[in-house]
Amino acid sequence: MRWLVAKRGRTGDGRGWHWTDIATWVWLIGGTILMFGPAVWLVLSSFKTPAALAEFPPTLLPFAQQTVEVEGEQKPLYTVTLADGTVRTMAELRRVGIVAQMVDPDDPGAEPARVNIADRDPVREVDFATENYTEPFMRFDFFLFLRNSVFVTVMATIITLLTNSMAAFALSKYEFRGRNAVMLLIIATLMVPLSVILVPLYSVVAATGLMNNLWGVILPTVATPTGVFLLRQYMLTIPDELLDAARMDHASEWQIYWRIVLPLAAPALAVLAIFSVVWRWNDFLWPLVVLSRKELYTLQIGLNTYAGELNVQWHYILAMTVVAMIPVVLVFVFLQRFITAGIAGTGLK
Amino acid sequence: MGAIELENIHKSFGAVDVIKDVSLNIPEGELTVFVGPSGCGKSTLLRLISGLDQPTSGRILIDGQDVTRRSAADRGLAMVFQSYALYPHMSVRQNMAFGLENTRMPRAEIASRIEEAARLLEIDPLLDRRPGQLSGGQRQRVAIGRAIVREPTAFLLDEPLSNLDAELRGTMRAELAALHGRLGKTMIYVTHDQIEAMTLADRIVVLRGGVVEQVDTPLNLFNAPANRFVAGFIGAPKMNFLPRPDGRTMGIRPQHLRLGEGGLPVTVDMAENLGAETLIHGRSEDGHTLLAMVPGQVTPERGDVLSLQYDEADAHYFGEDGLRQ
Repeated sequence: MRWLVAKRGRTGDGRGWHWTDIATWVWLIGGTILMFGPAVWLVLSSFKTPAALAEFPPTLLPFAQQTVEVEGEQKPLYTVTLADGTVRTMAELRRVGIVAQMVDPDDPGAEPARVNIADRDPVREVDFATENYTEPFMRFDFFLFLRNSVFVTVMATIITLLTNSMAAFALSKYEFRGRNAVMLLIIATLMVPLSVILVPLYSVVAATGLMNNLWGVILPTVATPTGVFLLRQYMLTIPDELLDAARMDHASEWQIYWRIVLPLAAPALAVLAIFSVVWRWNDFLWPLVVLSRKELYTLQIGLNTYAGELNVQWHYILAMTVVAMIPVVLVFVFLQRFITAGIAGTGLK
Repeated sequence: MGAIELENIHKSFGAVDVIKDVSLNIPEGELTVFVGPSGCGKSTLLRLISGLDQPTSGRILIDGQDVTRRSAADRGLAMVFQSYALYPHMSVRQNMAFGLENTRMPRAEIASRIEEAARLLEIDPLLDRRPGQLSGGQRQRVAIGRAIVREPTAFLLDEPLSNLDAELRGTMRAELAALHGRLGKTMIYVTHDQIEAMTLADRIVVLRGGVVEQVDTPLNLFNAPANRFVAGFIGAPKMNFLPRPDGRTMGIRPQHLRLGEGGLPVTVDMAENLGAETLIHGRSEDGHTLLAMVPGQVTPERGDVLSLQYDEADAHYFGEDGLRQ
């Protein structure tokens, strides 16, 4: 912050304000709101009751109406403007049309006042509806879905690292006819989105009997052109003399890959592992296509079950979305150094 | 053990001929230096011997056995690379053990060999460090140590001292010479530095453009260069070449010129005082540049005309084809 202020001015000497300073601040603050706003709203909304979620206009913070016990029953509290102009806090006994019968909770035996509902405001306090979180944990198969998600993410990441690094090793360290053509082909597949190949991919997976099988989710995703490209670019920087030295040292080509190239490519592997975890964790469309038995659902598909045909349980969806986001957020918080390195290294995201 | 023979070796990369019909005989136990300007094919030749590259045609024999089609690992050679090529993720000990582990040697034997090599090279305190924590000279020793533990029939060294600073290079050069004396193994040493070549070699192979120009002992190369290229390449500062009226070229080393009456008249361009001697840059009457290394401290002015004498015995004569006459 102090650094930013010290760097203001046209020449970055900290003297005067230049229009670029204003533009920078507007850009940065605007960008932060744009990126963070939805996430913050999601987290805050996940603590709202269904009633608060349906409210219009929406509030930023989760509010809940206060209640009070009147004659053994919980009654909602309102701030009421009475006919004589006095303002009091009263509980609603019952309501008929636009007229509500209100009573002072401290004097429940008194004659109820009849109040137009336009003349009262609910008494509300910030209140976090934690039951949005606790109830799904009890009733929803959260832990089953979590286990499936973890299995898919971990296995897919391990296989991705293995296969992609082997391809990258061959493409970076061996001279063979058609090497560039293969590389080009792999890069070209970057331009084909999943929706284009969804149907043929479905046919392949169905023909191999992997429908309704977690491996049907894992296997089609493990060969990623991004991964091959990222690892290849990194392996190109490993000096060939090291490989020559290993060859003189009786190392087989497999040993060269396993004992020399893989350990030295660890930084790039870390980047790819992070990417792979984020991708597989957030995958929605492909698992939705492959998995139709509920006990195989991953978290992202499981969340989808809250959106019924007639009724969407937004409070649960929001709360579980927050929970599903936590691993990815943690990955970003702790490993962002690697992620930026990876993005800078490949020009991909 | 360790005699290496090259028979009519050719190597081309695509349309480029890098090695053209090289035949060489490297006797057992000798330290042979490949020297030449950059791009002359000396490193390529070393890689062909090591087995890391395959010759386009020709045969390579080690101790009389044809190893041309044998893999690098099975030739019984060890190589020290210019960049040292130490495995950065392994400790010094692991670096040295890697090659032995791959041959399934018993652990005790590996440990004793590493210890012995470490003692020889005085790197025992460094065994558990990573290459990144070592200085240039220490890395150099480790690279040599990694070669020694393999107990190879011959050592191949590819410009091993070129990444060291001048002072260290001198020390390591002496150590390498001593090491060669102690091990008594065949060594092939590639360098572009003729001082290294002169001081280390039993024999020097001078290469240019993929062709062997001359093979001889350092002093023979200096005293009787076979052609103009070798004459100009070996010796520092470079030999002076003066054309003769009969079409021949006379070569005279700067060290063999001295100040004295009745010699070559030379116009001084510049004089570099090195303390013990003075290097004079000048021009002969017909405009050829001349270098003279004269003893003591001489301080001629630019434009002065000096007279430089030489002994006829020190002069070399080369024909129009560049060959020695």
